[in-house]
Amino acid sequence: MDVVNMNHVKLLFFATLRERAGVKSMELDVPLDLTIQGLKNKLSEEYPNLKESLKSVLITINREYAFDEAVIPQGAEIGMFPPVSGG
Amino acid sequence: MNFPTIFSITEDEIDLNNLLAQVTLTSTGAAAIFTGMVRGETSRGEAHETDYLEYEAYIPMAEAKMKQVADEIRERWPVIEGIAIVQRIGKLYPKTPTVLIACTAAHRDTGVFEAARYGIDRLKEIVPIWKKEVSPSGEFWVEGDYTPRPGE
Repeated sequence: MDVVNMNHVKLLFFATLRERAGVKSMELDVPLDLTIQGLKNKLSEEYPNLKESLKSVLITINREYAFDEAVIPQGAEIGMFPPVSGG
Repeated sequence: MNFPTIFSITEDEIDLNNLLAQVTLTSTGAAAIFTGMVRGETSRGEAHETDYLEYEAYIPMAEAKMKQVADEIRERWPVIEGIAIVQRIGKLYPKTPTVLIACTAAHRDTGVFEAARYGIDRLKEIVPIWKKEVSPSGEFWVEGDYTPRPGE
């Protein structure tokens, strides 16, 4: 696909997701109409290590919680992590 | 009146006296402070020992969500004067304070205890911080059980 018609996004991984991904962050080009569910499917296929973690993952778009049906906005910063355990 | 709200993620020691001074106004007569620390020996549930906890955070989002928790406290208890919410991250050993929530008010019967309780409960639900527990028998990530809803 033509890169001009792609959305360049940044993924940030934390805790178990970071350890399984083996990196803190990655940048990738995704289709303009890709949803969070679509992104999860794509990552499950391309990074089998992440597949199990993606079932209960929390997702954020630009530092707000986001859900499966959300379409990823242009240039989004996407956080991926397990349920939080601060305190 | 301008009420102080402090929220931060830090690798430094939590300075209770300094934070308390920052949320104390001339009109303040009561402070409820919750602090959590690393527990070296756990007896509830499956008994076990802990060598240390290693905390990490999605810092800019965590600070924004701490601000949100403070806003929610003020919405529910408008009489609350100062609020401090601080989480320490990094490698933390037993007996070390890891988190502090302080709420102040004019008097103790204003909901100030409940406000601090709400603060720590909400932090554990929506603020993106995680801890890995390292024990003599291995290490594992502690995972919460709360799934934020849209708008949280």
